Amino acid sequence: MASLIGKTNRRKWLQILGGSAAAIAFQRVFGGSGLAAQEPSAPKPIPDFTGPGPNPYWNSPGQWVTYPQKSPLILLTDRPVQLETPRRAFLSAFTPNEAFFVRWHLPLIPNTVDLKTWRLHVEGNVERPIELSFPDLMTRFKAVSLASVNQCSGNSRSLFQPRVAGGQWGSGAMGNALWTGVRLREILDGAGVKAGSLQVQFEGLEKGMGPRGYGSNRFLKSLDLNNPVLDECIVAYSMNHEPLPLLNGFPVRLVVPGFFATYWTKGLTSIRVLDQTDDNFWMKAAYRIPDTPRNSTTPEEMKSGKVPTIPIARMPVRSFLISPDGSSKVPAGFPLRLQGVAFSGYGGIRKVEVSADGGVSWRDAQLGEDFGPYSFRMWSADWTPPRAGKYTVAVRATDAKGNVQPDAGVWNPGGYEWNKIERQEIVVGDAS
Amino acid sequence: MRRFKWPGITILSLFLLAAIALRADFRAGYYAPTEPGAMRQALPDVFSTDANYSAGQFPLLEPALATGDGKETLEADCSLCHTPRFVTMQPPLPAETWAAEVEKMRKVMGASIPDDDAKKIVEYLSAHYTPETRKR
Repeated sequence: MASLIGKTNRRKWLQILGGSAAAIAFQRVFGGSGLAAQEPSAPKPIPDFTGPGPNPYWNSPGQWVTYPQKSPLILLTDRPVQLETPRRAFLSAFTPNEAFFVRWHLPLIPNTVDLKTWRLHVEGNVERPIELSFPDLMTRFKAVSLASVNQCSGNSRSLFQPRVAGGQWGSGAMGNALWTGVRLREILDGAGVKAGSLQVQFEGLEKGMGPRGYGSNRFLKSLDLNNPVLDECIVAYSMNHEPLPLLNGFPVRLVVPGFFATYWTKGLTSIRVLDQTDDNFWMKAAYRIPDTPRNSTTPEEMKSGKVPTIPIARMPVRSFLISPDGSSKVPAGFPLRLQGVAFSGYGGIRKVEVSADGGVSWRDAQLGEDFGPYSFRMWSADWTPPRAGKYTVAVRATDAKGNVQPDAGVWNPGGYEWNKIERQEIVVGDAS
Repeated sequence: MRRFKWPGITILSLFLLAAIALRADFRAGYYAPTEPGAMRQALPDVFSTDANYSAGQFPLLEPALATGDGKETLEADCSLCHTPRFVTMQPPLPAETWAAEVEKMRKVMGASIPDDDAKKIVEYLSAHYTPETRKR
């Protein structure tokens, strides 16, 4: 204290330390009855990285950053851009556009798009190649709307053990929006898919600096033409009734309901019908999962080279506690409302259960409004912690197909499809 | 110390009065001197009415890589496609994982990194970014 005062001028001492000096004196006079044993501490920054153990935080530990058309998000990487959504943004069923996570694969992403020249090309193995302008999409087709969760394949990758290289996402690489646009099938029918076609490939405005023919040059994703998800796909020009932020794929992006975000091509420019299977890096080498139960394996099995892999597809069922988030201590007897979101790529949420004893006993939560099978479903449960102590709240969801969130993690080399039951410690203090 | 006596007593008196009025034990008035945050609000955009839709430039937020042999080689050979934040973001990874990553960038991603450089980069990553060696 003395050295601090010595370094500080009289005025600053008054402004900064006056209060604390008074508080100390106050404690002396009153004998400290009921006062905390320690001085309030200054906030400490979160570490720059986590590991080699699992990330102990809900989000990744990156710094806050401001980006164009965005509220403050959590920085993973700056070029290519990867930004994570903070936990509190999931207190509503629809994630605000300005808080929606961002993930690009290549460094050349659009700062500006000129709609005078932007066209969506439908090409390849089709009868009539076509070019669609932004007004074409808004006026020549029937507008359809769908609420759908967009989740990065590597959401929660930082929970893997052992840790794997890749974007070290916490659990905020997801969001739900109301997407409005045109049915992909309608566009494909307009161009006329030729007999014998196998896949449809998507490409957007993102470009890379690497040599031609490599994954570092172009980002290309494909879906089988006989995949039923194609009937549900939308080429979306509207996100939550607004134009898409540039970082989320303005002017249009592909929406693949129930599928991981890798297929949701941003700044879409090409819908290309293929008469052979796409063997580019992003299909053949990246975003592949072991063809095993829960798409899980071990580092040892992977090294053996005998694990068959398939392209990643639908999102397994997940649920999250959003509030309370453990950032505050709760007085005993306080009527809390546990709340959060749940979703599944397998069509809707049937049930969400909560536990206040770390998963020993469960009770049903109340489900919020149903915005369709691919949307976030809000859930809530009232809970009054009876006495002081450390409680572990857990939440698990069951989807429409009967899949229940398991209480075990997965491991695969890409760090994909984490969906273990989430837990949150809540510290409850004496209320008197 | 003497010259701080009067302001101290004045504040103490005000504080005591406030505390008695509120009838609760609490601690108040602690402020930690802190660097002002780097995060500033951006000025709202001024738009034209043409068909251009712009987000402006995206911020480049280069991280501080550990100093040591090979740092400049890494920066020179890897920055074409991504910033070094792709290194600093990772958890501490074993040396063989770093070697595999550098190999993947060369063989699978087509990065033109000469053999000598690749060796230097792996040595640098092993010296600063493994569970045994990572400091920050």
